[in-house]
Amino acid sequence: MMINGIHIDDTYAEAFDMKATRIVITADSLIWARHAANAAFGFATSVIACGCEAAIEQELSPTETPDGRPGVAGLLFAVSTKELAKQLERRASQCILTCPTTALFAGCSGEESLPLGKNLRYFGDGWQVSKLIDGKRYWRIPVMDGEFLAEESTGLLRAIGGGNFLVLARSRSQALIACEAAVEAISQVPGAITPFPGGVARSGSKIGSKYKALPASTNEAFCPTLRGSTKTELSPEVEAVLEIVIDAVTDADMCAAMKAGMNAVCAIGTSGGIVRLSAGNYGGKLGKHHYRLREILA
Amino acid sequence: MTTLSLRIVPQGRVDMSGVVPEALAGRTANDIAAQRLQNNGSDVALGDLFDVTLDDDDTLVIHTHSDCLDYLGKGMTAGTLRVEGPAGHYAGQGLRGGEFAIHGDAGDCAANGMTGGLLRIQGNAGNWLGAALIGDRTGMSGGVVVVHGNVGDRLGDRMRRGLILIRGNAGIACGARLLAGTLVVGGVCGSQPGFGLRRGSLILGQRPESVPSTFNDSGWVELSYLGLLRQYTEDFLPGLLPAVPRGRRYMGDQAFGGKGEILVLA
Repeated sequence: MMINGIHIDDTYAEAFDMKATRIVITADSLIWARHAANAAFGFATSVIACGCEAAIEQELSPTETPDGRPGVAGLLFAVSTKELAKQLERRASQCILTCPTTALFAGCSGEESLPLGKNLRYFGDGWQVSKLIDGKRYWRIPVMDGEFLAEESTGLLRAIGGGNFLVLARSRSQALIACEAAVEAISQVPGAITPFPGGVARSGSKIGSKYKALPASTNEAFCPTLRGSTKTELSPEVEAVLEIVIDAVTDADMCAAMKAGMNAVCAIGTSGGIVRLSAGNYGGKLGKHHYRLREILA
Repeated sequence: MTTLSLRIVPQGRVDMSGVVPEALAGRTANDIAAQRLQNNGSDVALGDLFDVTLDDDDTLVIHTHSDCLDYLGKGMTAGTLRVEGPAGHYAGQGLRGGEFAIHGDAGDCAANGMTGGLLRIQGNAGNWLGAALIGDRTGMSGGVVVVHGNVGDRLGDRMRRGLILIRGNAGIACGARLLAGTLVVGGVCGSQPGFGLRRGSLILGQRPESVPSTFNDSGWVELSYLGLLRQYTEDFLPGLLPAVPRGRRYMGDQAFGGKGEILVLA
């Protein structure tokens, strides 16, 4: 398959089941909501060593938030409910509770729930106050700028992580430009995030390593500097490869996000230096969800 | 669904227990007219006092020109009940669900023992709104009460949970002995607001003449909670809470644990 001069590999992105939640952070201004979100979701690129993958899903206007202030919605993904709860509590307590003017709300509901303000309330040292509004419990925790308001719990979602595609380009700068366009397109898709810095990963990995302690290591088949010494996936004109990794709430969200991202790259075309689109495929060892690039773009 | 129109002004009080949407649904006009009511201690048929008509609307409507009908909406769990005219005492007693609207005034002890649903009073309400039933340890424990006019004394006495919104003024000792929940009074209130308040929030749109001496002044603060509450209350009484979520907080009643608050917004 060729689109705008770009070869679409006949392969699939291999994704896996994850647990996820959505939270809403509000503040007196969008700037401070972003500060809190950037801190909370900052070190959350990969479950390999971060515990969770997280990012801002979308910015919210005052009419879209529970307390009528500007805010952001963020998604957090982890491999287990226990790990997700742990990461959520740590990040909420250290990054959101601490941030001036913020309040924290559930962004989703589900059959199961995760503690949000339920445990954070103990920071109030007995001065915390519970409020039940419209069937939802909130905690008012006294802090130095007034009160930190947190909803007691948020919903637990069954989600999908690890959707991806690889952008192979004639130069690093051209690969980056295409990926920036892809990330921008994916950011418009609700229910999907790109957790890596700027939404782009340069260190695509394979499962395992020659070093026993490492669960993952560099994917040498896509490293241009090694193509003389390895069984490479790269043709001679490819000078750089970048990866977009996507986590999504539903299968439909994942398909929509991958399609939006790849279409943005294809719109740049071969004239922008893009040679191929491929995907991280681990032979079925990583996950049960397979997203075939050609089917998504068809 | 069903329309009941009070035909005469009966002697004394009429106990309207059992005349709720879920109990009348699916019944014929004759069957409804045969339902027994208590009028001044005597057993009477509903049809002796009301004209009964059925239509396709899902709402139970009661037309009355007298405030002699007590226990309207008592124990209602679902559906919609609308009273056109004044309600008597104990309106919405033990209300558990559904929507109950009174297009007129309500007597004393409305929403006593209420646990859920919505009670909306377009006019004024009497004393002991949302308070405990006689002999009960706690008052209203859930749901929302909206009053467009004024209310009498002892608003929310011993209230346990839920939300009461008052557009107008409240009498003496509003929020007295409040156990938890939220009371909002947009107008002025009488003396001793929040006396004996244990937990919960008494939110006053206007500064009271005095705050009981057993409340500690915590000064002016901005509270995200007020913004959240405003978003919720806009659906019931628009403009009751100001856009700026700021108030003067008094913690108390210190003689009763001191875990509650009076928030004065002006």
